[in-house]
Amino acid sequence: MRKLIAIWAGKLLTVAGKLVGKKSSASPGAFALKICPDLVSDINKIVKKKVIVTCGTNGKTTTNNLVCSALEAKGYKVLCNRLGANMLSGIATTYIQSADIFGRVRADYACLEIDEAYTPIVFKQVKPDIMIITNLFRDQLDRYGEIDITVNIIKKAIAQAGDVKLVLNADDPLCVQFGREPGVKAVYYGISEQVLPQVDDTKEGRFCPICGAEQRFNFYHYSQLGDFYCPECGYKRPDPEYDIRNVSLKTPIRFTINGHQMEVNYKGFYNIYNLAAVYAALDVASESTDDFAKLLEGYKPQIGRMQEFNINGKPVILSLSKNPAGFNQAISTVNTDDRKKDVIIAINDLANDGRDVSWLWDVDFHKIKDENLNSLATTGIRVYDISLRFKYADIKVDLMTDSMKEAVLRAVNTNSEAVYVLVNYTALYPTESVLKELERGSV
Amino acid sequence: MNIKIMHLYPDLLNLYGDRGNIECLRKRLIWRGIDAEVVTHTCDDTSFDISDVDIIFLGGGSDREQKIVCTRLLEHKKELKDFVENGGSLVAVCGGYQLLGKYYKLEDQTIPGLEILDIYTEQGKKRLIGNIVLKSDIIDEEIVGFENHGGRTYTGNYKPLGKTLYGHGNHDDAGAEGVVYKNVIATYLHGPLLPKNPQLCDHILKNALKKKYKDFTELDPLDDELEHMANRYIVERFCGNGGKA
Repeated sequence: MRKLIAIWAGKLLTVAGKLVGKKSSASPGAFALKICPDLVSDINKIVKKKVIVTCGTNGKTTTNNLVCSALEAKGYKVLCNRLGANMLSGIATTYIQSADIFGRVRADYACLEIDEAYTPIVFKQVKPDIMIITNLFRDQLDRYGEIDITVNIIKKAIAQAGDVKLVLNADDPLCVQFGREPGVKAVYYGISEQVLPQVDDTKEGRFCPICGAEQRFNFYHYSQLGDFYCPECGYKRPDPEYDIRNVSLKTPIRFTINGHQMEVNYKGFYNIYNLAAVYAALDVASESTDDFAKLLEGYKPQIGRMQEFNINGKPVILSLSKNPAGFNQAISTVNTDDRKKDVIIAINDLANDGRDVSWLWDVDFHKIKDENLNSLATTGIRVYDISLRFKYADIKVDLMTDSMKEAVLRAVNTNSEAVYVLVNYTALYPTESVLKELERGSV
Repeated sequence: MNIKIMHLYPDLLNLYGDRGNIECLRKRLIWRGIDAEVVTHTCDDTSFDISDVDIIFLGGGSDREQKIVCTRLLEHKKELKDFVENGGSLVAVCGGYQLLGKYYKLEDQTIPGLEILDIYTEQGKKRLIGNIVLKSDIIDEEIVGFENHGGRTYTGNYKPLGKTLYGHGNHDDAGAEGVVYKNVIATYLHGPLLPKNPQLCDHILKNALKKKYKDFTELDPLDDELEHMANRYIVERFCGNGGKA
């Protein structure tokens, strides 16, 4: 009964939230959990097939939603926290929203994206059958302390999960260590050839997670991802069961997984990892991966994943990045676009962004200065910090403003061919609203 | 004129955008027509020569990385101590600050320090995390930054870098942050420290120039409007009314 009241209360809050125009992705769940703390503990019983969870610093939402889309394309009913609310409250909200008025939830699969730090809390109620870990990068240090702390939290969660099959990124030395935990079953996916120029950007896991010696790379992709090995203890990149080769980064991206040709209309090297993780997870769940590309057709990217708008006939591309690795990837995607472009960068420092903005200095912002850069504008709560970052990189900021709208209006009226808007988390929704409004022409 | 800056172990101690501190020191010399040379000393370097170095920078890392650095640096304890005692400029942030003391006592072990300063650090229960604002008597402008440390540093009779106007500081109820000793600036503040605190950066540069060039008097002024806006923004956001909290 408590449970039913909790579900009703949550549903009411969702409706009330919609009336006042709020996107309720976590709060109804948080409220319902106060009434019934073990609300979601029957997910394992409800789900007929498997519970698939996705963790990792970058690519969680995309990977999780792709798995969900692929399963839905196969005709399954899937419980999925699609909006990326990835703590227990977000999962509870998803649960409430899929429940009928009798409080019943039906699902063949559950696809749950979970914040690394909350895995032990979530796993008390929900045991994953398959756990994807995409990568680990420096992220929101003020919340987690150091990356070693995150690693220990995940190890604890894996031990708690019991009989789980891990799907791990073979190219990430920080991820591969989870596959070596006692009693763990793991499969790996990885990109087995050099694709990108070998530049020295901030490497997170320079040191062997097993023995502490400095690792070496036969080649690497970005950050610490690559063909790594430890010269001291022999820890090295495992041969991946899902082996990616023949990569072409021109749109559409092309590559092969175990020799099967893939072609997808996404931007960004990192999306190859997301797709490989999905492919591996489906295979581990004993779902066929024939027609893989077709399975993904129904997938709609969440906002801010290189999302394209059209304003005054000019493409405006919105990209969300939350940490140095993400920003470096976004910058490299901007730079692979040969068109003349304006770039706008918005940096906030609210709780969901991480209050510490020192990471701005770990991003290779100086690389944004390529010959095709028409103008650069900065905005957001920490507009001064990001502008200083450019000042000390000898890059001229053409406009500093507290108004995203002003920055976009200015950029769409230059003679450039494209506009890129790079934002961090809490700047995303307000920016999307501005872009939608301008796209509708209701300026 | 020429200033040589050595960044110690950027391969290990680079947790909080420390390269911003190095860039700030370097650019503020170059913008004034003073030559700046930045050298790094990394894990791969076997020799350790600081005889012609003017400013040494030691940043922060995770506890694990800090331990590796410490083992390496202990071999050069005497050179570093002499460098400081002879008026060399040393900037130490976060983990680097802790390393200058006698020891850092963790839950399960004690990392010995370089004993350059008679201070010590003990691991506390909670990490002290957040924006921080200091009033220092070595410069006019408030010092702003971000702190994130599990260690509590006990600094005895040393002069602190500043009084804490907002944030924690050396330990939970210290009311003060960092240490100033001779030409050493040691602090928990990152963000990174120097770009938003141009007066502090210039203070460090002046110390180094004065030591090296006897006839040096003053640095040329720079256009610091953006730096001051960034600094003021933090002061007013957390202390209100121009920092008179």
